[in-house]
Amino acid sequence: MRPIQGDAMSNSDRKVDFGFEKVERGDKAARVASVFDSVAGKYDVMNDLMSFGVHRLWKLFTLSLTGLRAGQRALDVAGGSGDLAAGMLRQVGKSGCVVLSDVSPKMLELGRDRLLDKGLAGNSQYVLADAERLPFKNDSFDCLTIGFGLRNVTDKAAALKSMHRVLKPGGQLLVLEFSTPTAPGLKPLYDAYSFKVLPLLGRLVADDAASYRYLAESIRMHPNQETLLEMLRSAGFAYARYHNLTGGIVAVHRGYKI
Amino acid sequence: MPATAAWLASTEALLNRNIADSARAAALAQRLQGADLQLDIEGLGSIRATVIGGRLALLAAQDFPPAAAHAAISGSPRALLQLLQGGGAKRDPALAAAQIRGDAEIAQLYRELFVLARPDAEEELSRILGDLPARKIMQLAGGVLAWVRGAGRTAGENIAEYLQEESRDVVAKPELDEFLRGVDEAREAADRIEARLAGLEKRLRSS
Repeated sequence: MRPIQGDAMSNSDRKVDFGFEKVERGDKAARVASVFDSVAGKYDVMNDLMSFGVHRLWKLFTLSLTGLRAGQRALDVAGGSGDLAAGMLRQVGKSGCVVLSDVSPKMLELGRDRLLDKGLAGNSQYVLADAERLPFKNDSFDCLTIGFGLRNVTDKAAALKSMHRVLKPGGQLLVLEFSTPTAPGLKPLYDAYSFKVLPLLGRLVADDAASYRYLAESIRMHPNQETLLEMLRSAGFAYARYHNLTGGIVAVHRGYKI
Repeated sequence: MPATAAWLASTEALLNRNIADSARAAALAQRLQGADLQLDIEGLGSIRATVIGGRLALLAAQDFPPAAAHAAISGSPRALLQLLQGGGAKRDPALAAAQIRGDAEIAQLYRELFVLARPDAEEELSRILGDLPARKIMQLAGGVLAWVRGAGRTAGENIAEYLQEESRDVVAKPELDEFLRGVDEAREAADRIEARLAGLEKRLRSS
């Protein structure tokens, strides 16, 4: 099992992974934001193309686990285009509130526009924030989600602790993220698809092969299921567990603040 | 540690939705906060139910906390299902096979919670398809089920009739009853003869 630490380090504590590349710790957030600023315009169509639409089912499954009720408060960290936030807005109703946060201004703008276009307004808020330093009071939310965002965070342990802090006691964190395929025979196919097809799709559809190469690389550098489970426990989450989806290509990790 | 099965998470989500819709179930869930119930299902393994923040959590064996559960129910899948659906031992003797250990009150409260959170197929279907299609599908499913039951019953009756009346491999019930009545009469006649013979024998000895 890999050691539990903030992020995989290189020779010095100043270097962190940015895909397979090593960058200065302080530079990663800006590099990630620039990747997502670059892909924001084609984000939805690329998600559908890359996952053959299955990302919608992964998100539906995650939403089914929130246990949110009318009037409750939820936070969608690294919410991107707002798919999870839209689902949670329907769950909490008009009397509840969902905050969508992202580190990329363009993604946040995209998320806000999409929610408004769906008629979801009045009980939503938008916050430009870094997951490692969430600008909310302690014990603020009944549920937190982070969908395909944790792998882009520089210091994952700090982000998990920050998310634990803003959760109410009894609240639940749901981490939907790419993981390590566990189904027999899937890994070689998945690797070939990630490193050959994804950059090609990125180049053809979004005219941005580098960003989609980063996507594939960042998935490989992300902690596997067991390591992330230990990270959740280390951050203070109780009853932590995970569910593999699509043969482990994606996993949903969950834990409670007690 | 292996992954927790997605079906367990989906079941948990389904039950939690129904708990949220019932004031009584929500109150029960609050009361059960921090109390665990372990279900030991013969041939399938164990599941532990606990309540965290008013929500039910179903944990697979690898996710169990180290402490023992406050209460445990063990039995066959059928017995546990019927027990948790509100069936009683009087309704089905198979339920006698389900055993409760530990705090019986917690086990009883969880049982009530599961009964209140029991999913309704038509309601669940209507969330996906809408009320009208769900109603039609359930009516169709009910009709198909009734037809299957009726067809099974008719087939059974036809086979029984053939074996009794045509092939004569199985005796018909009226004939069996007649035979048993004859046996009873023969036994009674034998008893009477035996008593009469005993009486005659006694009379011969005394004379």
